[in-house]
Amino acid sequence: MKKPLSSGFFVVRTKEENPPMMHIAVCVCLVPDTASVFGFSDGTLDRSRITEVINPYDEYALEAALQLKEQFGGGEVTVFSHAPRSGSEALRKTLAMGADRVVIAEGEGSDSWQTASILAHTLTSWYSAALPEVILCGRQSTDFGSAEVPGMLAERLGLPSVCAVSSLEGGEDGVFRLEREIEGGAEVLEVSVPVVISAEKGLNVPRKTSMRGVMEGRKKPVEIVEGSPVECARVGLGALLPVSNKKNCHFASDARALAGMLHERGLLQ
Amino acid sequence: MSNNTHGAEGQGCSRRLIVLEQREGVLKSTSVDLWHRMQMQCKGSGLSAVLLGPVDKENPSLQLSGPGVIHHACDERLRRYDPRLYRRIIGELFEEGGFSELLFADTALSRDLAPALSVRLGASLLSRCSALPEAGRCHRRLYSGAAEGTFVASSPRAIVTVSPSSILLQPATEFLPDILPLAVPAAAHDDLPSIVRQVVRREGMVDVAEAGVVVAGGRGMGSAEGFALLEELASLFGGAVGASRTVVDEGWRPHGEQIGQTGKSIAPRLYIACGISGAVQHLSGISGAGTVVAINRDSHAPIFEVADFGLVGDVGEVLPEFVAALKEFLKMQ
Ligand SMILES: Cc1cc2nc3c(=O)[nH]c(=O)nc-3n(C[C@H](O)[C@H](O)[C@H](O)COP(=O)(O)OP(=O)(O)OC[C@H]3O[C@@H](n4cnc5c(N)ncnc54)[C@H](O)[C@@H]3O)c2cc1C
Repeated sequence: MKKPLSSGFFVVRTKEENPPMMHIAVCVCLVPDTASVFGFSDGTLDRSRITEVINPYDEYALEAALQLKEQFGGGEVTVFSHAPRSGSEALRKTLAMGADRVVIAEGEGSDSWQTASILAHTLTSWYSAALPEVILCGRQSTDFGSAEVPGMLAERLGLPSVCAVSSLEGGEDGVFRLEREIEGGAEVLEVSVPVVISAEKGLNVPRKTSMRGVMEGRKKPVEIVEGSPVECARVGLGALLPVSNKKNCHFASDARALAGMLHERGLLQ
Repeated sequence: MSNNTHGAEGQGCSRRLIVLEQREGVLKSTSVDLWHRMQMQCKGSGLSAVLLGPVDKENPSLQLSGPGVIHHACDERLRRYDPRLYRRIIGELFEEGGFSELLFADTALSRDLAPALSVRLGASLLSRCSALPEAGRCHRRLYSGAAEGTFVASSPRAIVTVSPSSILLQPATEFLPDILPLAVPAAAHDDLPSIVRQVVRREGMVDVAEAGVVVAGGRGMGSAEGFALLEELASLFGGAVGASRTVVDEGWRPHGEQIGQTGKSIAPRLYIACGISGAVQHLSGISGAGTVVAINRDSHAPIFEVADFGLVGDVGEVLPEFVAALKEFLKMQ
């Protein structure tokens, strides 16, 4: 495991990098667009009618990274994704939004454990000298919604992590002030870099891509990393069964009748 | 010790450790429910649990019934969530106690803690299970609720987080768990990289994710002011107000109240949706709800397809009548 050189914000890097630069990594995954038609056959998702998009939570993470880069007047935002090669087109949107490069750790079908291990491996080899100051992830993916990878990744890298962050401030002195929603309130936290942060909806409003951004994005590099070591899966997934929430709705004639129905069923307590 | 071992050892109950959670000195109802559901499954064989931080209101053993032991680290330093200390204490107890399964209620805290602990303990992580795992398997809704997946742990150790249920259990048994004090290691001196400085409470209402009754409003409520009616309705039940994403994006309600895929998953016994169309992303957050009631002026709104009771009408007109009628019924009881 690589240790960061310093916990100060501006890490002194290898000699060819001058002046020192802030590095921000954003971990992005692709998910089926929720507007797609979800069909299931043979216990798996029928992908023929699915369009893949960037996980919406990861857009909050990317936006936060881009804002940090602006706030600190420079730095490099690199997007890391464990995805098949074919995902590069969809991932180009991150370049159009303003990321500097995309690194695809090729592969698919991994569980959270494997995804975290592949991302950890890719990050440590990519940043051979020192881990980036900030690693941002989305709170969860919108397909499985496990919310597991960010915390696992941090633990593997030996970094602190704060999940589901809805506000992020400071950073000038290498310390961030964060907020996270908890049941019935919010937690205010402080954390020093390097750190893994996962983004909650509401952290920011992700920027729209402009025509110019798309054109510039075309020129930015998408690098493919093949053959990352794969660990055994820790969780097996059985057949997916389509479910229906459909119920037989009893319509009430008016508001009083509705209240009466609830009363009869003993629901007014 | 009241650790009687008759009953279903088949579930390996003695090797399962439950994490009970307190926030600001109050034992969480979701934790209490998890304990009681485990009692049902383990049929009288003693349970083990760990509780970090002081509980002010009531002795925890009086809130939990059934046999077992609670390792309680009653240290003030644990009152607020301290990721490092929590990980360390729970991890060490798990290892030293020879446990094979760690169970959490699915909460903001367990979502932060469980993934890191799974790496530390080399355990399979089964998150947000819809019920207690049976024979190492758990179920969860995927793809905005369109499908259900079955997850199986493939390591000898597992960490399981369980979603709240709309049916609360209160098993009657004469046993009370024993409390065993748990020592807290001295704080790590190394650069403490993340600390909770402060907890800001939202006063008044219960949280949507924990409430027994949730009254939610959508764009059909018309404005932020329109929610006054819903607050009144929710207060009749001691419930919580929830919102659709549109409402949150409009700034009418805070994000903490959003229900759905990018908000909270809820499991109230009664859910009342007012002026909410019922988009899939919204519905994915209410699959755990008991009875669903929908009020919408469009009789074709998809929310009616998942509702038990419906009323077609303008919320501005029918809600005041509904509130008045409910008050009458409540007075009669
Ligand atoms: C990636 C992604 C994630 C999302 N996550 C979520 C999420 O977590 N939660 C969520 O809720 N949405 C989510 N959405 C948005 C979702 O798709 C819908 O847009 C949203 O739920 C609609 O909110 P609504 O029902 O309040 O508004 P609308 O869809 O506009 O519905 C308003 C309803 O109110 C009714 N109405 C209007 N006026 C009245 C009146 N006077 N009286 C009675 N009825 C009236 C209308 O008939 C209509 O049915 C997500 C979308 C995406 C793409």
